[in-house]
Amino acid sequence: MFVAMKPHATEAEFEAVIDKVRALGLTPHPISGTERRVVAVVGNTGAVDPDDFAMLPGVAEALRVSQPFKLVNREVKEEDTVLDVDGVEIGGRAIAVMAGPCSVESREQILETARAVKMAGASILRGGAWKPRTSPYEFQGLREEGLKLLAEAREATGLKVVTEVMSTDTVDLVAEYADILQVGARNMQNYPLLERLGQVRKPVMLKRALSGTIKEWLMAAEYIVAKGNPQVMLCERGIRTFETATRNTLDINAIPVLKTLTHLPVIVDPSHGIGIRKHVGAIARAGIAAGADGIMVEVHPRPEKALSDGHQSLSIPEFDELMREVRVIALAIERPVL
Amino acid sequence: MLVVMKPTATDAQVDAVVEKIRSLGLMPHAIPGAQRTAIGITGNKGGLDPALFEGMPGVREAIRVSQPFKLVSREVKEEDTVVDVAGVQLGGKRLVVIAGPCSVESREQILEAAREVKAAGATLLRGGAYKPRTSPYEFQGLAEEGLKLLALAREETGLGVVTEAMDVENLAMVADYADLVQIGARNMQNFSLLKQLGKIGKPVLLKRGASATIREWLMAAEYVVAHGNPRVALCERGIRTFETATRNTLDLNAVPVLKSLTHLPVVVDPSHGIGLRAHVPAMARAAVGAGADGLIVEVHPCPEKALSDGQQSLTPGEFAGLMAQVRVIAGAVGRPV
Repeated sequence: MFVAMKPHATEAEFEAVIDKVRALGLTPHPISGTERRVVAVVGNTGAVDPDDFAMLPGVAEALRVSQPFKLVNREVKEEDTVLDVDGVEIGGRAIAVMAGPCSVESREQILETARAVKMAGASILRGGAWKPRTSPYEFQGLREEGLKLLAEAREATGLKVVTEVMSTDTVDLVAEYADILQVGARNMQNYPLLERLGQVRKPVMLKRALSGTIKEWLMAAEYIVAKGNPQVMLCERGIRTFETATRNTLDINAIPVLKTLTHLPVIVDPSHGIGIRKHVGAIARAGIAAGADGIMVEVHPRPEKALSDGHQSLSIPEFDELMREVRVIALAIERPVL
Repeated sequence: MLVVMKPTATDAQVDAVVEKIRSLGLMPHAIPGAQRTAIGITGNKGGLDPALFEGMPGVREAIRVSQPFKLVSREVKEEDTVVDVAGVQLGGKRLVVIAGPCSVESREQILEAAREVKAAGATLLRGGAYKPRTSPYEFQGLAEEGLKLLALAREETGLGVVTEAMDVENLAMVADYADLVQIGARNMQNFSLLKQLGKIGKPVLLKRGASATIREWLMAAEYVVAHGNPRVALCERGIRTFETATRNTLDLNAVPVLKSLTHLPVVVDPSHGIGLRAHVPAMARAAVGAGADGLIVEVHPCPEKALSDGQQSLTPGEFAGLMAQVRVIAGAVGRPV
């Protein structure tokens, strides 16, 4: 259920609503928009009559939320959520571009990539320090050393850093270095991790699981927000289908569907979504045209030598070309590229 | 195998290659192209020895085609195939928009739809006369009466007509009326029908099966071409996945993948691909952004009264809005509408 306040409701009226929610043994989540203030009510609201709230002073309306996800629901908050990543906005008018290698491999590699993607127009550097590899025998990432190298690349270029966190015990460490904490597809329903990320004061990028439905994905986002962190963005990275000509099937349908169901920003990862270097650009264009708020692209100075995902990583000139193509589409739909 | 002739090869030298292929009990297929003359070979059980042809006068090289699809492969024909549909060039620089109702329902309905989609900028009219409905109790289409109404709408508006053929029995009749014969997703591997399509004088729009891989789809197209009809376009219309928030999952990955594997035009159907009216324009934009050669969109003068697919059909006003958005993206990728 959510309770929307009248535009001129007083602070005391707002507090009275919150107190009433608590008195019923439920949890209030105040949501501030420019249009109106809303209190989302979470818990077992089955026995609560919305009319009990609707009659309180300063309340415009009290309604049940039809979907199982509440705080991330556009019914509860109509306006787009715009995340501030240390000065870079995600979910606003501008398209955010995150680019960088799959894994941080060395000081030279991450610095070279950071400089190049910045030059091409990216505003956020990606790079994995903890890598969830299918095979336990493959390169698992440089861990804290990788985080330090990412921080150095941020210093050198001014780019913000997005990197993956794989387990609850490293959340604090990763949050110390990262500007955005990424939850990978394999951890979309790692609920202890999601709950722990609810306590972090940094934005979280939640990737869609390989077989996660849109509803399951939004419920996963709800976990993070319900535990106290409203700074969440979603990342579509392709789902598992019967098709084997591509690594995954990028579900571009998810973009307009999400934009109506939730107020959270939606990012597209064309690199994992198709998994074939020469087609990443086409599918990035499609993602932007469908209404994505940003893209995340794998770029490596020497893809053929990459320790992971080389077949889908763009070389630096290829990324330059992708940026040109993306700018043209973004311009056409009147969205600048950050 | 593909035998590529030298630019200076004479007709007699080409004929000699064709004769040699026939003498081996195999099928020669002339591959037209502005840049070169080539002859595709099908019917061989195993790999052929290139030396069989490479010594012949006028032959530049004989190449093994690595994919199981041959005639539709870009290895065999590098240039894009442009299919002429009643004067509309599908697969050329211009983006082609096909629009109209799911089913032809009445004279008034199809004429109004045709006028509206034409006014908004569509160049071909869609409308089903034979409908492959999941339930046998649902409206099955007006059959030949529907075809006649489509012909009437063509007379009135000048729009070429795209309509589905469901079986071998009615194929000749459908082909008589249609400018582009559509094969629906459920018939993508109806091989008897595909073979017959090789013998009609009309182009074919082959939709992807709901659970068909790209390779299976290209093999289905190969059937049509191998049986004599090179005028084939492919249509991505969404695949079956675990996701239930949308009717199908539009596989736009397929667009760039197909454009590199085959020279055939690629059309996208955002209406079936997402199945939700509100989101059809976003997916149409995405398809054009991904490089599709055309769109096929369901439009109904009164979607809430449609006998089929009302939940994904646009009103004429919504379709005009879609066209405005598509024009912007098409302009950005350098393809006029």
